[in-house]
Amino acid sequence: METVVAEDLTKTFYDESRGEVCAVENMSFACRAGEVLGLLGSNGAGKTTTLRMLATILRPSSGTARIMGHDLIRDPEAVRRSLGFYSTSTALYPRLTARETLEFFARVNRYPAARIEERVSELVGRFGIAEFQDARVEKLSSGMRQRVSIARTVAHDPPVLVFDEPTVGLDVIAALEMQEVIRTLSEERKTIIFSTHIMSEAEKLCDTIAIIHRGHLLASGTLEHHRRCTGKHYLEDVFVHYVRGGG
Amino acid sequence: MASLPGAPSSFRLSSASRSTVFLLYLRELRSALRERSIVVNSILLPVFLYPLLLWVMVTGATLAEGMAEGTRSRVVVRGVPEAHVEMLDSLRAAPDVEVIVPLGAVEEAEDMLARGDVDLVVDFGIASAREAAMPDNFSVRLSYDRSVERSRRARARATAAVTRYRDRWLGRQARELDIAQAELEGFRIVSNSVSTERQLGTLLLSELLPLFLVIMVALGCFVPAIDTTAGERERSTWETTLTLAASRTDIVVAKYLFVATLGLTAGVLNVVGVFAAIGPVTAPITGSSAAEFEYSLPALAFPVVLLGTVSLSLFFAAAMMILAAFARTFKEGQGMVTPIYWLALLPLLLGQGSEATLTPVVAAIPVGNVAMMLRDAVRGVFQWPLILETLSVQVVAVVCCLLVARSVLRFEDFLIGAYDGSFWRFLKKRLITGAPRSVH
Repeated sequence: METVVAEDLTKTFYDESRGEVCAVENMSFACRAGEVLGLLGSNGAGKTTTLRMLATILRPSSGTARIMGHDLIRDPEAVRRSLGFYSTSTALYPRLTARETLEFFARVNRYPAARIEERVSELVGRFGIAEFQDARVEKLSSGMRQRVSIARTVAHDPPVLVFDEPTVGLDVIAALEMQEVIRTLSEERKTIIFSTHIMSEAEKLCDTIAIIHRGHLLASGTLEHHRRCTGKHYLEDVFVHYVRGGG
Repeated sequence: MASLPGAPSSFRLSSASRSTVFLLYLRELRSALRERSIVVNSILLPVFLYPLLLWVMVTGATLAEGMAEGTRSRVVVRGVPEAHVEMLDSLRAAPDVEVIVPLGAVEEAEDMLARGDVDLVVDFGIASAREAAMPDNFSVRLSYDRSVERSRRARARATAAVTRYRDRWLGRQARELDIAQAELEGFRIVSNSVSTERQLGTLLLSELLPLFLVIMVALGCFVPAIDTTAGERERSTWETTLTLAASRTDIVVAKYLFVATLGLTAGVLNVVGVFAAIGPVTAPITGSSAAEFEYSLPALAFPVVLLGTVSLSLFFAAAMMILAAFARTFKEGQGMVTPIYWLALLPLLLGQGSEATLTPVVAAIPVGNVAMMLRDAVRGVFQWPLILETLSVQVVAVVCCLLVARSVLRFEDFLIGAYDGSFWRFLKKRLITGAPRSVH
């Protein structure tokens, strides 16, 4: 079953000095439960804009998408209930404790009220938050915050998870931990869409790699598919091949 | 034109979203009560600031007065006739007066006064025959420098001493003539205030309470309004909030209620603080002890004060949030919201301290009308049509703010925090000229 279906997603901004700027044009893709889709592209390619449209932060200029059958234009709140969004621009509320944060996200995203306590305890244990669960977020180290951030993203147990450049700014160990989390969540049959410009990350984690350049989806498929189509072995070469018009 | 996903098309809440609003509201409140600047501005200052300020002012004034009382007035007394030497003796006997023997001409004494070497020149003169109703009748000219506090004080002391002496002298004259002193005087002015201590207390309260209340409600909204908008942007939690399974309307309503709640809290706490402190603090002014300070408040004043405070909270919360929402940092927000804070000073311009009362024109001026309404209510004056006008004007002002907020929130770049400019620029370029809503 397809959990995420994007159809001709297009986003045009009006810039006061440049006029109309098309950030994303006719982006279409689909994902199934348990699939990891990687949006691979350089800076300014349109990855973040695409993910922000899926998260209903931005409204598509045309086209639409359905998350778990909910249309993101017609029913944005249902989309947000079905989705966990993680990015560097979605910080935690600094004055709440780690435990309060998880409880708040579970409750506001409509996780069944009777099971919230149990769910929070489960997340605290799973992400190693127990030691600092009652400390305010503002007092936590960046590593601790990262764990709480991931936990709050999945607090309401959404079937679809969107990670926007999740390893940017992390050290090697933290980045590996993040990759491990994504892999585990995928094994739990979550649909995961994440953006990156790190080739090795995409190679390791993605079932499907969508290559984006200047707002256009150039190619989408498994790594093997891309290798066959381009005749290149390394993803880096595959990417350059598409970006330079070889596709 | 189509609106954003979940952008507010109206501020009506469905029953389903009420629980979400409540959750968001509690989250805002919990966060705010852990922030020192909010606790100080919205809770501690309303309770303690104005009582403390009043105390400092009153104590300072009392101290200055006490120090002034301790200084001796240097008085030159000229031309005292034999018959009135007693006058000179009584002036010399006064501990706060230093009598200086005249040295030469009148001009010389007045030169000393101009130089500040003395504080007062007292010139006795025998009344002319026409003015003299009795022998030894006299006139006194007090020369002083009105621009100098010491000189004014010397005049007051000398006037009191001369008046006392005059009374004694007239009494003696009347006894010699075997008539009542009042007959000799012709007429006498006697002042008698019919107001009670309670009425004076109520008057003082009516002048202080509305001013403090308006300023405190504004102050109570000030930091929370910035914290929940610009503060969220600065902390990068704004986008986090946008990804919650809540409609944009729910988010805005929760934030608005949160800011208004803290404004209302500040107002109510301020009223409590003023009531608790006004007696002890003003005791030195009123000349009574703290326990003796009395006031009376009509029962109807309470609902009027409460309604006024609620309307102020709703107005300041809406107006401040609109401006603060354009800021990217807390500091920027402070600069943008300050003009609204100035509105809190409007009651001063409307003659809050004078005898003016609520009129149809004053009732049409937001904020100032509420202050005037509260002042009247504390004094027991209830002009119901004007109270209704005042509250209606406040409601209209709040609705206008909410309509502006709704229009602004339909612009995507504003909603996601990408817009870089002030409210006024936005108003000119977008709301008036009508730019596209999806603006980067």
